[in-house]
Amino acid sequence: MSAGNLLFALCSIACLVGALITVSAQNPIRGAMGLLTTIFGIAGLFLKLRAEFLTAIQLIVYAGAVVVLFVFVLMLLGPDARAPARAGRSGSSRLLGGALFAATALMGIVSLLRGQGRQGLGPAAPDHGSVEAVGRQMFGSAIFAFELVTALLIVAVVGAIAVGRGRQGIVRKKPVVSSPRELFAGPPRARPAPRRLGTEGAE
Amino acid sequence: MHAFEKIFPADDFALLALILGMPLLGAFVNGVFGKRLGKDAVRLMALSALGVAFLGSVLTFFLLHAAQTGGEGGGEQAARFVWHGWQWLDLSRANEAGLIHSGAAPSMLQLEMAFSVDALSGTMALIVTGVGFLIHLYSTSYMENDPGYYRFFAYLNLFIFSMLVLILGHSLPILFIGWEGVGLCSYLLIGFWFDQSANASAGKKAFVVNRIGDFGLLVAMALLIRYTGALDWDGMARGSRGLMTEIPIWNGHLFPASFPSFLTESHSVTVATLVGLSLFLGCAGKSAQFPLYVWLPDAMAGPTPVSALIHAATMVTAGVYLVCRMAGIFTLSPAAMFVVACIGAFTALFAATIALVQRDIKKVLAYSTVSQLGFMFLGVGVGAFSAGFFHVLTHAFFKACLFLGAGSVIHAMHARIHDTDASQDVNNMGGLKQYLPRTHLTFLVSVLAIAGLPLTSGFFSKDEILYSAYTRSVVSPSPNAFVWPEWTGTVLFAVGVTAAVMTAFYMFRVYFLTFHGEFKGWKIVPGWQGAHDAHGADGHDAAEHAHAHGADLHDGTEHAHGPGPAHGPAAREDAHGQQAHTQVAGELSDGPQPHESPWQMTAPLLILAALAAVGGFLNAHPLHIVPLEHWLEPVFASAVDAARLHSKDPDDALMIPLLIPGVLAFLVGSSFAYVVYLQRKGLPETTFAARFPGLYQLLFDKWRVDELYDELVVGSLEALADASVWVDRWVVDGILARLTALLVTVWGHLLRLLQTGHAQAYAAVMVLGLFGLGWFVAVPQPEAAVSGDAATGQYAVQAAPGLGYSYRWDADGDGNFDTDQFGAFGQVTLTLEEGASREVQLQVRNAFGRVKSGSFSVSRPRHDAAAPTALAAPRGAPHLPARVLQRAPPAEGNVPPAGSAAAVPGGTPRGVQ
Amino acid sequence: MTSPGDVLESYVLLSALIFTIGGVGFLVRRNVLVQLMSIELMLNSVNLLMVAFNRVHGDAMTGNMFAFFIIAVAAAEVAVGLAIVLSYYRLKSTVYTDEADLLRH
Repeated sequence: MSAGNLLFALCSIACLVGALITVSAQNPIRGAMGLLTTIFGIAGLFLKLRAEFLTAIQLIVYAGAVVVLFVFVLMLLGPDARAPARAGRSGSSRLLGGALFAATALMGIVSLLRGQGRQGLGPAAPDHGSVEAVGRQMFGSAIFAFELVTALLIVAVVGAIAVGRGRQGIVRKKPVVSSPRELFAGPPRARPAPRRLGTEGAE
Repeated sequence: MHAFEKIFPADDFALLALILGMPLLGAFVNGVFGKRLGKDAVRLMALSALGVAFLGSVLTFFLLHAAQTGGEGGGEQAARFVWHGWQWLDLSRANEAGLIHSGAAPSMLQLEMAFSVDALSGTMALIVTGVGFLIHLYSTSYMENDPGYYRFFAYLNLFIFSMLVLILGHSLPILFIGWEGVGLCSYLLIGFWFDQSANASAGKKAFVVNRIGDFGLLVAMALLIRYTGALDWDGMARGSRGLMTEIPIWNGHLFPASFPSFLTESHSVTVATLVGLSLFLGCAGKSAQFPLYVWLPDAMAGPTPVSALIHAATMVTAGVYLVCRMAGIFTLSPAAMFVVACIGAFTALFAATIALVQRDIKKVLAYSTVSQLGFMFLGVGVGAFSAGFFHVLTHAFFKACLFLGAGSVIHAMHARIHDTDASQDVNNMGGLKQYLPRTHLTFLVSVLAIAGLPLTSGFFSKDEILYSAYTRSVVSPSPNAFVWPEWTGTVLFAVGVTAAVMTAFYMFRVYFLTFHGEFKGWKIVPGWQGAHDAHGADGHDAAEHAHAHGADLHDGTEHAHGPGPAHGPAAREDAHGQQAHTQVAGELSDGPQPHESPWQMTAPLLILAALAAVGGFLNAHPLHIVPLEHWLEPVFASAVDAARLHSKDPDDALMIPLLIPGVLAFLVGSSFAYVVYLQRKGLPETTFAARFPGLYQLLFDKWRVDELYDELVVGSLEALADASVWVDRWVVDGILARLTALLVTVWGHLLRLLQTGHAQAYAAVMVLGLFGLGWFVAVPQPEAAVSGDAATGQYAVQAAPGLGYSYRWDADGDGNFDTDQFGAFGQVTLTLEEGASREVQLQVRNAFGRVKSGSFSVSRPRHDAAAPTALAAPRGAPHLPARVLQRAPPAEGNVPPAGSAAAVPGGTPRGVQ
Repeated sequence: MTSPGDVLESYVLLSALIFTIGGVGFLVRRNVLVQLMSIELMLNSVNLLMVAFNRVHGDAMTGNMFAFFIIAVAAAEVAVGLAIVLSYYRLKSTVYTDEADLLRH
C-alpha cells in the first residue's frame, strides 16, 4: 500500500482508539492522553487531506494548549479528579440518551455504507490548504468573521478570569502613606485638646 | 255662580290647578323652609293650603251640580270639567307606523298632564280635602311636641296633593302618578319616627306590598293601550269594544284526549277579564285586600293622625275609587267582578275574625278598616257602585272619627305610660268615660255607626251593600262568558252578615273595654306630678315610643305582649312583667288623672261624629232618599246598563225584608259584647282562650299569614340565594376556577419531573429529538430538479442526492421503470419535441430498503409561448406551493426549480457507475 | 479498487464514528472533565469532515477556514469551561455533574 494509505490507516486507528480511551477511561489523565492521541491522528489525517496549515494549527492549539489546559486542571484537582464512583442518580436518563444517540448515528452510518457510489478525492490544486490560500480567503471575504473571533477570544479570556477567580477577589493592600505630608512629618501623633477661652464661666 | 262659570269654563277648569297647587305649595314651603319658619307658620301654611283646597272643592262641587242638573235634556248628563296642563307623551306617530293596534278606536296615544273632575271625583275630592283639613287641625295639637313637626306637615300636604292627583287625574297614568305618590307618602308617614327600626320596617313593608299591586296596574295599563288605544277616561270608553277580544290562555291540544276535560279543552278569556283582574291586583295592594292586606296593621306604627287620614279615609279607598272609575270596563267582565266580590266578602270576614281578639286599640281599628274595605269591594263587585262608594263616604266619617278618638285616648294614656304597646293596650284602659267625655261621646257615636244602628250612616251604607250582594249580579251578553253561580247572592249575603255581626261585637268590645269599667292604667292620685316627665294637659310627649321606664322598651309591634290566654282582661293583677307601667311587678304605679284633649283635637271629633250620625241620609235607600245615587248616576251610566247588571229584585221588594238580618246583626253583636264585657267583665273571653288555646292563639296571631309569607316568599328567596351561593362556590369557583387550576397544577407536577437539573438529562431529551429527525433517514424522499432549454429540447432531470440512495428511472414515460435494478444514476436526460410533455418517474430506495417514488412532468412549450420551460410538480412529495417563475432567455443553464425542496446547489453530476 | 484513503466516504465514516463516540461519551459519563473532552472529540470530528469535503470541492478554502474558526472557538470554550469546572469544584468539592442539580424542580 502506498504511503498515503498507510498514513490514513495509522491515523484513523489512532483516532478511534484515542476516542475510545477518552470516553471510557476511569482515570481522566488517561482520558486526556487519549484525547491527545486522537488529536494527533486528526492532525495526520489533515496532512493526508493536503490541509497543511490546519495540521499545524491543530497541533499548536489543540495539542499544545487545550490538552495542556486539561492536564493543568487535572493537576489542580488532584485525586478528586477521579473520585470513587457513587451511586448514580441519573443513570437511566444517561443510558437512554447514549443509546438513542448511538442508534441515530448507527442509522446514518448504515445509510452511508450502503449508499452506492463512492466519491473519489480527485486531484487537488497545488496550493490547496496552504497558508497563503487559507489566508487569502480569511483576510479577504471572511475578514469580518476573523475579527469577530478575535473579540470572542478576548471575551473568553475575560470570562475565564471572571469565572475562575473565586469569591475572595483581589486583596487590596493598604498604601504605605495616606498623604504626601506623612512623607515628611510622619504619622499623626495624639495631642491634648486645646483649652477653650471664655466659656468656662458661662454657667 | 255665573261669574265663576265664566272664570272657570268647563274645558279649561283652572280651579283644579288651584286645588292641586295649594297642598303642593304647602308641602314645599313646609318641607324646605319649615324648620326656619317655626311651628306657627308651619301650622298656618298647612291649614290654609288645605282650607283653600277644600273651598275650591266645594266651589267645584256647586259648579258641577249646576252643570249636571242644568242640561238641556232635562235629565242629568255627566258633567266633566277638564283642565289641560301640558303635553307629556305623544306616541301617535307610533300608531301610524303600525306599532299600536286597536279594536275600534284609532289609537293616538298622547298623554297629557290633564286633570278633570266629575261627580265621582268631585265627591271624593270633597272627602279628601274636608276630612284632610279636620285631621290637619287635629295634628296641629297632637304632634305639638314632636321635633319633626314641620316634616310631618310637609308629608301630610304632599299626601293630600298626591291623593288629589290620583282622584283628579284625567287618565290612568296620571292616576298612577298619584297612586305611587300616596304610596310614597304612606311610607314616609308610617316610618315617621324612623329611628325605631320597627317603624321603618313597617313603612318598607307597606311600600313593597303596594308595589306588588302596582305591577297589576301596569299590566292593566299595557293591556288597555293595546286593546283600546287610549288611557284617558274618554278614550277608554270609546275603545272599550276592543276589550272584548278573546285571548287564548290554555291550549288544550297539548294534552292527549285521555286527560281530564278541563285540561284538554282550550280556554280563552276576554281582555276585559285580564284588565279587571290586573286592576284588582293593584286595588288589593292599595286597599289592603286579601292577600295583600298585611301592611295595614303594621302601618299602625305611624302617628295616629296618619292612620286616620291615610289608612282609614283616603288612601285605602283609592282602590275602591279605581274600581268605580273603571266601572265601565269592569262590568264587561263578569268573571273579574265575581273575583272582586268574593275576595271582598272573604276579606271582610277574615279581618273581622282577627279583630275579635286583638288588644291594641289601633290594631283593632286597622283590621276593622280592612274588613270594611272588604265590604266596599263586595259592594262594587256586584255592580252596586254607588252603594260601594257611599260606604267609602260613611266609612271616612266614622273610621276617621274612631281613629282620632283612639288618638285622643292614647294621648291621655301617655300622661303616664310612654311605651307604645302598653299605652295602646285595651287591657290597660277602662272607665275613661268620666275623664274623656267628648272623646267618649264621639267614639260611641262612631261605634254605633260602624256597627249599624238603624238610621246611622253605617247602617244605610252597609245594608245597601248587603242587599245588593244578595240581589245583584253581573252578566255579559256574550255566550261563553263566565256566569255567576246561583248561590252567589246567598253566600255573599251570609258572609256579609256574619262579618257584620263580628263587626258589631268587636267594636263594642273595644268601646266597653276602653270607656267602661275601672281604669286599669295606673292608680289615679290627684295632683300627681311626675318626677322627670311632668308635662301639662296639652302637648304630648315627643314621640309615642318609649322612654326607658324600668327594664322594658318595646315599640312598634305587638310582640311584647306575650301571647297567652292568661293575660285576659281579668288578669290585671298578674305580673305584667312586660308592661311599662309596673315598676314593681303586680302593682300599679301612681299617676295623674287622664285628661281630655284640647279643642283642636275634639272639634274634629265632634264634626266627624255628627257626620257619621246623619250622613246616612245621603243615600238612604229604604227610605227612598237617594240624592247620592242620583248624583252619581251619570258617571255609572254605562256601567249599570241593564244589559250588564242583573238584579233578582228589580222593584226593590226584598229591600225591607233584607234589612232585618242587618239589624239583627247589630243587635246580636252589640248585646253579646255587652254581656261579655260589661256584665261578665270579660270572663268569657278568658274562658274561651283557656278552652280553645290553639284557635285563640291563631286568631291572635292574625292567622299567621305574615309568617306564611315569610316562609314562602322570603324563604324561597333565601333558598334561591343559598342555591346561588352553592353554585357559586362549587360550580363557578369549584369547577371553573379551582378544577382548572388543579388540572394545571397536576400537569405542572408531572412536567416538573422532567426537570432534573442535570445537563445530561436535558441533552438526552435533545437526543430524543434528534432521533425523531431520523425519520428523514428512514424514509426516502424522492426529489428531482428539471433543467434544460426549450430551444434544443434537451432536458435533464437531476435527482436530489441522499445518503445511501439508489435510483431507478422511468424516462420514456411509459409507466414502466427502465431498469429492474436500482442504480446510482442521479440524472437522466431526454429529448422532447415541441409541444410535447412527458411524465418522468423516479423511484428512490434508501439504505434500509424502503422505496418511494415520485413523478415529474417535463414539457416543452411551443415556440409562441413565453411561459417558463419547465415545471417540476412532484407528486407524493411534501406539499409546497408551486411558484411559477418568469425567466428571461432560455439560453441559460439550469432553471431554478419551482417549489422543489431539495435542489442541488451546483456540483458536478454524478458519474455513472 | 480505490484505496480507502482516497475515498471521501472513509473520512465521513471516520468522522461519524468519532462523533458518535464523543456524543455517547458526553451523554454517559458523569465526570465533567471527561464530558468536556468528549465535546472536543465531537468538534474534532466535525473539523475532519470539513477538511475532507473541502478537499473534494476545492475551488474555495471555505472548509479549511471554517475548521480554523472551529478550533479557535473550541479553545475559547475550553478555557471558560475549565474555569467553570474549577468554580464548580470549589463549590461542591466534586467533579461529578450528578450533583449539579440546583435547577431541579
